[in-house]
Amino acid sequence: MIFFEISKRNIRLNWLRSLLAVAGIVIGVIAISSMGILGSSLTLSVTDSLSTVGDSVIVIPVVGSPGQNMVTTEARITDRQLQQIIRVVAPNDAVPIYAGADRIEIGPDKTVAALYGIRPEQIPLMVDIADGIVPRSTSGALAGASLADEYDLKTGSRVRVGNETVRITGILEEQGMGFDINPDNALIVSDRWYSAAYDQDNYDQVIVKVRDINDIDAVKLAIERTLNRREDEVTIYDTRMILEMIIETFNQISLFTTAIGGISLLVAGVSIFNVQMMSVTERIKEIGIIRSIGTKRFEVMRMYLYEAFILGLLGSCIGGVLSFAGGYIVVSIMLQDASYLFYPETLFYIPYGMSIGLLVTLISGLYPAWKAANLNPIEALRFE
Amino acid sequence: MEEEVKNPDCAEKLPKDAVIRLEEATKVYSLPFGDVVALDRVCIAVMPGEFIAIMGPSGSGKSTLLNLIGSLDVPTSGDLYIDGRDTRALSDDELTELRRDRIGFIFQQFNLIPLLTVLENVEYPMILKSRQAVKGNSRARDLLLKVGLTEQMLAHKPRELSGGQQQRVAIARALINDPAILLCDEPTGNLDQATGRLIMDMLSEVNRRGKTIIMVTHDADIAAYASRTITIVDGKVA
Repeated sequence: MIFFEISKRNIRLNWLRSLLAVAGIVIGVIAISSMGILGSSLTLSVTDSLSTVGDSVIVIPVVGSPGQNMVTTEARITDRQLQQIIRVVAPNDAVPIYAGADRIEIGPDKTVAALYGIRPEQIPLMVDIADGIVPRSTSGALAGASLADEYDLKTGSRVRVGNETVRITGILEEQGMGFDINPDNALIVSDRWYSAAYDQDNYDQVIVKVRDINDIDAVKLAIERTLNRREDEVTIYDTRMILEMIIETFNQISLFTTAIGGISLLVAGVSIFNVQMMSVTERIKEIGIIRSIGTKRFEVMRMYLYEAFILGLLGSCIGGVLSFAGGYIVVSIMLQDASYLFYPETLFYIPYGMSIGLLVTLISGLYPAWKAANLNPIEALRFE
Repeated sequence: MEEEVKNPDCAEKLPKDAVIRLEEATKVYSLPFGDVVALDRVCIAVMPGEFIAIMGPSGSGKSTLLNLIGSLDVPTSGDLYIDGRDTRALSDDELTELRRDRIGFIFQQFNLIPLLTVLENVEYPMILKSRQAVKGNSRARDLLLKVGLTEQMLAHKPRELSGGQQQRVAIARALINDPAILLCDEPTGNLDQATGRLIMDMLSEVNRRGKTIIMVTHDADIAAYASRTITIVDGKVA
């Protein structure tokens, strides 16, 4: 490995210049990795705040649907449509939901909260209860985690909803933002209570909880064929698709920020190119000597590529270590939770940045190495 | 380029067992102001074990001739055979291998590799040939001790040695792969007279042991060490 030894010694001889080139790579790798880490952490943090796990099909009525002469926006899913859905999605569960909002009074406090009317036996399919039980009587209700926290609601508390009073039978776990229902700031009441209180027979939406995630497309197709056979009566979404769209959007943001980091690595590549070209110019005579005593072109090329490789490896390794530290700081400051850094998909950006750093260095070193290898040995020997 | 008209005498007159045969070798350099003929139909044969001095005024084509024989360059027309191989038919890699395995170079400026130690400089061509590390190789060490360097000098960098010592290292480097031919370009040009004589004695000894030596020099006293002198004037053998 005499060529590697010569490359090493040349780097050591020109240590300041080499150090500056390495610093460029370090900065580039930090920029790429940190941006990647931030983007990935952001995606993870958003995904975490979404309660949906991609196992639901949401059926909502088409606004101004047929049979209503396009005059009303108060479209709902009828009992007939619900029965059809239940039939075609079996054995999966179809959960009809009343959704609305109303003024509520908790002691002296007044606010507006979302209301969901769900069949009591189906409530566990939609939410997790942290404390208490599903309402057994029609006047029972479950309070969302944020609402309970803000107004100090507990099991047994009474809340006035519109002109009625309900008793809190349980508090929900924090769910995060969902595509079907958002229970954190809501009250969940029984379907019968909601129907009676708001004089509403038809449902606002039907959520189908799919037991096997691979059945989602089949379930969607079955509903589509049954209800939208002649006219579009309902719109069908699946949460997996929405989730994928959101994640895709964040991945694109992540890619964009990483590309911005890439610009600094490009600058570093120019610096490596410059250093290597200087090294070639300064050592023309030496190249002439080694060529004249029997060094082949590709061996000269190897010698210069080793030099670029050493600089790139050094820069990438230091950059990798500092990226971890930098990523920790950035994620801690921006997301207030450094734990996202330790996910494999986030940590991936450290070797990713390092590899790009090494690749950029090698590409930058390619032309100088080629130039050195193709010098005319006679002219190179004469060079002073 | 003019049509090549070969002198039938040249190829026939040259002995077939010569280690180097130049048959009407011509070297033309194309420069912006026109073509320059550096060597013009040169016919030379060098027999194994000969010690040849090449003399001539500056710009006469001596260095061009040495570059051709050293397979650093190939003739524009005519033929050059080294060890029976036609250099015009060889690729760049094959020419490099020829230099590495069959030819040793000794330059006026010594031309040692500044980043390597004295010992490593001598080991270098051997590593190129064997394609493996020969750290602390005893042959390189023996050669260096034989040309008069001390054990302490082996770990030094070339710039830490005197001119005479550097030229001894260059001789050891030229001999490490046991080449058939040694090419010397003004080997004493940068040395004082006494050191120059020592180096020439050393080259004479190498020649006595069977190596063919071709040496370019301006100095008639140095040329006197050779068994034959070829004078080049205006690119032609005078």
